[in-house]
Amino acid sequence: MTDSGTPPMPTMPTAVVSRRQLQLVLLLDCSGSMAGEKIASLNYAIRSALSELRAAAEENPEIDVRLSALKFSTGAEWHIDTPTPIDDLQWVDLAAGGETAMGQALDMTVDFFNSGKFSGRQLPPIVLLVTDGYATDDFDTSFENFMQHEAAKCAMRIAIAIGDSADEDALRIFVDTEKTGIAPLCARSAPDLVKHIKWATTAPVKATSSPTNAPSSVEGLAQDTNRLLADDSEIVW
Amino acid sequence: MQAENSGRELAAGDRFYSHNKLRTGVVGDLLGEGGQGSVYKSEFGGGTYALKWYHPYYVEIDGTLMERLRRAIARGAPDDRFLWPLELVEHPARTDSFGYVMGLRPDEFRSIRELLAPPPNRIELSLEKRLFVCQQIADSFLSLHAKGFCYQDINFGNFFVHPTSGRVLICDNDNVNVDGSEASVYGTRKFMAPEIVRRETTPNGRTDLYSMAVLFFYILIGWHPLDGKKEAEANLLTEQLEHELYGTAPLFLFDENDTSNGPVSPMHDMLVCRWRSMPEKLRSLFQRAFGIGLNNPNKRVIEKEWLKTIDGFQRATFACSDCRYEHIYDHAENRSTGECVYCSTALAPPPMLLIGTKYIALGEAAVVTLADFGHANAPRWESMAIVVEHPQKPGVFGLKNTTQEPWRVRPPGGQETMVSPGKTVLLADGLRIEAGANQATVVAPDAISSLKAGSGNEARCD
Repeated sequence: MTDSGTPPMPTMPTAVVSRRQLQLVLLLDCSGSMAGEKIASLNYAIRSALSELRAAAEENPEIDVRLSALKFSTGAEWHIDTPTPIDDLQWVDLAAGGETAMGQALDMTVDFFNSGKFSGRQLPPIVLLVTDGYATDDFDTSFENFMQHEAAKCAMRIAIAIGDSADEDALRIFVDTEKTGIAPLCARSAPDLVKHIKWATTAPVKATSSPTNAPSSVEGLAQDTNRLLADDSEIVW
Repeated sequence: MQAENSGRELAAGDRFYSHNKLRTGVVGDLLGEGGQGSVYKSEFGGGTYALKWYHPYYVEIDGTLMERLRRAIARGAPDDRFLWPLELVEHPARTDSFGYVMGLRPDEFRSIRELLAPPPNRIELSLEKRLFVCQQIADSFLSLHAKGFCYQDINFGNFFVHPTSGRVLICDNDNVNVDGSEASVYGTRKFMAPEIVRRETTPNGRTDLYSMAVLFFYILIGWHPLDGKKEAEANLLTEQLEHELYGTAPLFLFDENDTSNGPVSPMHDMLVCRWRSMPEKLRSLFQRAFGIGLNNPNKRVIEKEWLKTIDGFQRATFACSDCRYEHIYDHAENRSTGECVYCSTALAPPPMLLIGTKYIALGEAAVVTLADFGHANAPRWESMAIVVEHPQKPGVFGLKNTTQEPWRVRPPGGQETMVSPGKTVLLADGLRIEAGANQATVVAPDAISSLKAGSGNEARCD
């Protein structure tokens, strides 16, 4: 009898023990030019994306979604250095000031991929780069080095430019627009930024279990980015 | 700060109309949104329904959407588990898109993927109920395929289950298409047949059969059938490796001949337990589905085969007396002498009621219903009999007649006796029961047989 009082004990603990992790790494520009409204909008956008990300993670119980965040200004520094389950995340606001050490952010991401924090059963990670300007260090060399790492190579790389002064070429190289068809997203207003951050964090999570009419998951996301760009609002910052 | 874009395209209170303008609806709460559009609760033509409204860009890229929906609406739902499109609707100010109304999924139904969720979000369904879930899905897809349709995109997102009864509802039926016509979707990761992953074909009736078998494996074993040693050894699951595992070099976790993708201890230990607790007949269906059926779509297991096999033992589950791990009674394998696959305690299955080729476990308080006798349209809960304990003799169980008519029963070698409504007959091995036109035999392998020894003509107890 299966429906009597005693619950069947060890029935299905299988999928839980060894779920693959889907790691989301945010690389966030906190340079001086971000000060004021932009950094406030970025904090707000991440906070509001988190609730949707939580829902997306819940809808994909077979994967274990984790988030870490790195901020870069005069140097780079981990803001959330332990990959944290979305449920346990408390977003502490970022402050802006200093240079744009984007290259160093990539160097530290490579160290992260090599550390115990990115070990065990992993899905290709998602690396989201958000910036409003040009790197003040040697981005090109760092990027070349970054792309030597297997995790970086297979990662879903997404970029968001805040405003019109970001180094769009660097971002196109970062996401490899030529090959992936994914375009860097440009946020010209606070609502845009919210929309783009939400999409960039949740769409790749949803893509692991959503129906697709694109030949590959990358192509599906590329279609999305084009759509997001097409919807871009014209309200200037 | 501006209000964020919630993804909501229609406002609450907006009016929409059926295409023929005969019926009006009012948009209500947003229930969910996805890549294709959003779903709203809505009032329509005097009832409460779900309204699916497409994103304009989706209408543009899915060229056969309108035609598929029209045809689905015209042909009607294959059965009442499908929340089928009922009517196409339009919005006066949103002429770049359209939607349709369908039945509203009751709140208590939950996504089938919660069967795999980590606690406390997991739906804890007994093995009997999980078999019931598979049975319903096979039955519904039999109806769908028999109508000439194919589903195209079977995945976790389409199925909802009632957390206690195990009843199933099937949603998102807008990809349903005439089998053989141009597909609108490739499918969902891990559910796509290998030939779709390899891009040799698009979804069709045979690829549905593959996806359905994957779903059944997930429901019963809690895992993907092709995730064995190779997947376990890969730290980083790259797109290329995924292509190999599910497309170019797929190999079943429990392949009969090739163990190179077999289970790895301790990671897969629980899967091995679950697999071993299944009867041989069911294991062999999976071995075909993910053996020869991987590369030969015509050899895949069809719904009728799943139904026939699952019907035989859907009600024959029982738990280990020590650790409560659930097993399926298999007369052919003589499970009564077996050990628990989890804790190795000797198994003591309860008596079984054999109806035709179907076994029903007669554990404490088990209810036998008219549906168990194969009356297809009988409500599953309409009780025929219930297992009760003897009021004065603890540990002695009998089957109480809960019908309005007397039963005729005959113990082996004994005389025929009547069991009036409300009376109870001792569960003895070999006891024949006739309840009107319905016939059954009690199979009580060991424990009960000792009771039987001295019981001869006194096969009744109240």
